[in-house]
Amino acid sequence: MAVKKSSNPMIKHYWPRYRRKAVILTIAMQFILTAFVGGAIIIAGFDSTSFEFWIVLLAIIAASLGLNVFLILSLLTPLRDLTAALTHVAGEPSTVIPPNPNAPYFEKDGFKPLLQYLYASAASAGEVTDTKGEAPTEALSRALNQTSAGIVVLDAEGAIIYANKKAPISTEMDGKIKLDLLFARENEFETWVANCRANAVHAEKTWQRVADKIVGEEGRRIFDIAATYEKGSAAEVVLVALDQTTSYQPEDDELDFIAFAAHELRGPITVIRGYLDVLAMEASDNITPDQDELLKRLVVSSNRLSGYINNILNASRFDRRHLRVHLAEDTLAGVYETINDDMQLRASSQNRLLTVSIPDDLPPIAADRSSLSEVMGNLIDNAIKYSNEGGTIKVMAVQDGSYVKMLVEDHGIGMPSSVIGNLFHKFYRSHRSRETVGGTGIGLYISKAIVESHGGTIGVKSIEGEGSIFTFTVPTYESVKDKLQANDFTNTGLINNGSGWIKNHSMYKG
Amino acid sequence: MAIRSILCIEDDRFIGEMYVRSLRREGYDVDWMVDGSDGLVAARNKVYDLILLDIMLPEKRGSEILHALRGNGKNLIPNTKIIVMTNFDQDVESRLAMEHDVDAYLIKAEITPRKLLEIVAKLQ
Repeated sequence: MAVKKSSNPMIKHYWPRYRRKAVILTIAMQFILTAFVGGAIIIAGFDSTSFEFWIVLLAIIAASLGLNVFLILSLLTPLRDLTAALTHVAGEPSTVIPPNPNAPYFEKDGFKPLLQYLYASAASAGEVTDTKGEAPTEALSRALNQTSAGIVVLDAEGAIIYANKKAPISTEMDGKIKLDLLFARENEFETWVANCRANAVHAEKTWQRVADKIVGEEGRRIFDIAATYEKGSAAEVVLVALDQTTSYQPEDDELDFIAFAAHELRGPITVIRGYLDVLAMEASDNITPDQDELLKRLVVSSNRLSGYINNILNASRFDRRHLRVHLAEDTLAGVYETINDDMQLRASSQNRLLTVSIPDDLPPIAADRSSLSEVMGNLIDNAIKYSNEGGTIKVMAVQDGSYVKMLVEDHGIGMPSSVIGNLFHKFYRSHRSRETVGGTGIGLYISKAIVESHGGTIGVKSIEGEGSIFTFTVPTYESVKDKLQANDFTNTGLINNGSGWIKNHSMYKG
Repeated sequence: MAIRSILCIEDDRFIGEMYVRSLRREGYDVDWMVDGSDGLVAARNKVYDLILLDIMLPEKRGSEILHALRGNGKNLIPNTKIIVMTNFDQDVESRLAMEHDVDAYLIKAEITPRKLLEIVAKLQ
């Protein structure tokens, strides 16, 4: 069987084909009807051989053929006009003039609204396909403003060219529109865009838990962000912000409340730690080794409690952009020394062996002694928590270019790589640690914040079942000295945080 | 000049007694005032080697006492050292300003009596 060659079917071909069919059918029908009439006349007794008979029959055929063809063609006129209109709307090449809806006869027979609707809907549909991203149509813009997601479009100059109603933006005094998003590091988004411009054709990135205002401000919203970059597009960067306030806000409120409560705990914890210290000084000669061990456990526990309180307070300060580190020339060994007694006591009272080897010849670092010692305390405390009785925890340090790196190694339960990506997120706790070990999911979050505010990085390598090595780096004093002196020894220049980081009001009374 | 006499201005009875007890045991001569007004009067009437100053105090806040003693560019007590001891989380600017005028600024929750003794011993 031969394959029929078919060109693209066109609307304008329908009308002549259908008209031909209708006319042929009409004529055929006419012949059949006439044959019936003729047959009936012959049966009735007319002489079928007479000349008059055939004349009359032919006259009937001719007259009704003409009338019926005329009738069918006029009945099909609307179909002809519709096809012509559709041919025009579809943009097919055609010599037929499209029907004019304003013609008087269309008005008369009521075909006008039909044509008008056809032309109007074709015109509005055409607008969508014709726009090339310049401006959304009214319908589309209404839809975009209706969605609960914030959508922001940036052009190649980084200017915001479109933002829908829910977009986290604000207009500055000079009329410039800017993104209202507080990423974990200032300028994080801008840095990503700049990197894409330099190195990518297409890129995507997501961020979780990005707020538009600091904790405690009215109408704060928290988003999950997805951004796409497309080089050369008029809409170079498209940012979609999904409002997740309802799922994230309760945790932040909780932390806020706990921070408030934690501040109240500082008084009692001062007294408990202080009197334990007084007892240790005054009663050391009169107690048995047993009792001494009990006293040590009290000291260890109250110190840990104090550490957790500090974590919560620091996390809360960080979220409010209050956390400021005051960097001074120091040594890693010097910082560690301030917590060594506490850490050794903590390890030994929980049957872990803590070995520390920090070389003497490491260069000085730029550090805020109390915050950095809290980072060390958190990492060692974790190593104790996630290792087994009798296990060894190794603290080491090396120079790494213009950084000094500290490593805390345990041979404990370790973790799968799937966990590591989320480890430093706020409130994150791995499924297993939820079941087996206590904690708030705050320690690593605030440790990361503190290390990064020193201008360093924090990370982990882990093998499930074999243990983990947590590392962090801080810059050598020499490498950041000039920046620090220019910024009055705050971390301002190091983390490039610009203005607005510190708000001038106190958060707690009492 | 070794430190001998200490004025402790602290309204919390437990905390005050804790410091006073361990300082006296170490041989220091300690006076203890529990409100800000009495504290300022005591600081003006007698020359101490060291003042331990709380911030949140009844009658007069620690910052006011500090201002009265060392504000406006004059120093009424040039031979006295001052250590601010607080659990109050004040804003960074006030804290930095205070740190500038005193010899140490300590968070009470982070300091045990033994650490305080070490710090005082180093303040020569």
